[in-house]
Amino acid sequence: MSAILRVTDLRKSYSGIHALDGVSFDVEAGSITGLIGPNGSGKSTAIDCISGFQKLGGGKVVLGDADITGRPAHLIARAGLMRTFQTVRVYDRLSLADNLAIAAQQFDPATWIDEFLRTRRYRQAVEASEKRARQLVELIGLQRYYEAETGILSYGQKKLVALAAALMPHPKIVVLDEPVAGVNPSRIREIEVALQQLNQAGETFLIVEHNVQFITTLCHRVIVLEQGRKLTEGTAAEIHTDARVLEAYLGMTPEMAEAEMRGAA
Amino acid sequence: MKLAAALAAAAVFAVLPLLTSSNYVIGIGISALVFTTAAAALNLVYGFTGLLSFAQLGFWGIGGYAAALTVVGLGGSFWSGVVLAGVICGTIALVVGYPMLRTNRHAFVIATLTFALLATLIARDWVSLTRGPLGIPDLPAPEAFGRRFDTPRQFYWIAWAFAMAAIAFLFALCSSRIGRTLVAIKQNEPLVRAQGISPMPYKLAAFALSAAITGAAGGVYCFNLRIIDPTFLDFYYMQTFLIIVIIGGAGSFWGVIGAGIALSALPEALRFSEDLRMIIYGVILVVAMFVMPSGVAGWLRERRLARMREALR
Repeated sequence: MSAILRVTDLRKSYSGIHALDGVSFDVEAGSITGLIGPNGSGKSTAIDCISGFQKLGGGKVVLGDADITGRPAHLIARAGLMRTFQTVRVYDRLSLADNLAIAAQQFDPATWIDEFLRTRRYRQAVEASEKRARQLVELIGLQRYYEAETGILSYGQKKLVALAAALMPHPKIVVLDEPVAGVNPSRIREIEVALQQLNQAGETFLIVEHNVQFITTLCHRVIVLEQGRKLTEGTAAEIHTDARVLEAYLGMTPEMAEAEMRGAA
Repeated sequence: MKLAAALAAAAVFAVLPLLTSSNYVIGIGISALVFTTAAAALNLVYGFTGLLSFAQLGFWGIGGYAAALTVVGLGGSFWSGVVLAGVICGTIALVVGYPMLRTNRHAFVIATLTFALLATLIARDWVSLTRGPLGIPDLPAPEAFGRRFDTPRQFYWIAWAFAMAAIAFLFALCSSRIGRTLVAIKQNEPLVRAQGISPMPYKLAAFALSAAITGAAGGVYCFNLRIIDPTFLDFYYMQTFLIIVIIGGAGSFWGVIGAGIALSALPEALRFSEDLRMIIYGVILVVAMFVMPSGVAGWLRERRLARMREALR
């Protein structure tokens, strides 16, 4: 396997505080990689910098063969990195169908002239986008809301819509910012299953999440940040038993964590 | 359905001069057509793209002066004046819009307000260009195909054709993928960027197209008045456009068109008192914001959504 996303020596500081102090990691193509850490460890800053939503102070981000360091967000998306947001973002006043169509719109070759003349190129683009949208909507189980405005959906359902939208243009990698935070526990399992299916179909994910249970079930590899630095990196099992991680992240001993995990499950 | 209703309304408006002999009614009809067009243009930037632009008033005035000066100063025809008014306003909007749109939404509102006030100042104080407070009287009637559109009844057809063309264009734009993208930008700009779309070209295009249409509308309207002076930039025009958009429902294409037609009689009804007019307008705006914050169309939409929620439960 080869790295699809290669982050090297990422740096970012706000008025003297080093939010990111030289973080490096790779995301393998076809993997699910987790990024965890306590509050303020720099997880969100890291993915904001990677996706172009914050200016980075230094370092290098390479997506596939392309150096996307410091590019504006929309160009990074066009290069193939799609992301979701911690506070769920969907277009509340547009239908689920339109939400998904917009997500793919920039990636098809049809221009406004094609649309005006209803050329074959335009019709094919719309057809392909709709086919993909139907597949994804089926995967997230919201078929009956296809024509409905997303504003009427619940928070958890909107998270699924955001996930589907990110997948619409067949991106190289999808970065999920806390995909299950605030989601009803009974739904978390559904999201897990959906992500596993997508991963088996070849999608690559980088997931930032607080829910340790969720991360350890899903991720092939986990990167742990603490105070802007990479604390450690390893398989889910390795991370789960790493005393440093437990102390930094959970502030507890391995035994306490064990009890916590049983409680969460 | 909505389109059929719109076509029916267009047909009714087309035959209005055949239905009435009153020049007063014809005059209101002309105002209705032109104001509705300008309001639809404001709806493009405010309702669809989410940018509250007071610059519309400036473009309305600049368009009026541009058309009048083309005819009186350069000896051009009414038609070239209206086209030039649109082109000039569109160009100015591209130039001033770029820096304005780089600021946040609140600063944008203030910047557009400043632009409108500046246009008013120029109309009054750049006497060598605009002839100052005296204005430019006796604008000649438009001519085409050897005919003069001299009376209000004849001028009405020009206003009708202009309004239909502009509204049809705006409808095509708003119902296309571009229109959908504008709505997306209004609702969630970071998400738009995360989906590979750069918001700036869309916002700038909406602002410039809206300015061009508003400018051309101003050009048409001043030839209806047959005079242009600094009162053409009176804030009450801006209020009229805003009231139409807000009461119709910002972001609802046909809501605004309907409100434009329904409310255009308002300036006439309020003509009894020049002093109270602004106050009454203000009161109407505040009450509308309280009772129906998203306009008539928004209120209808809420009811439809409530039914949908019920059905999907």
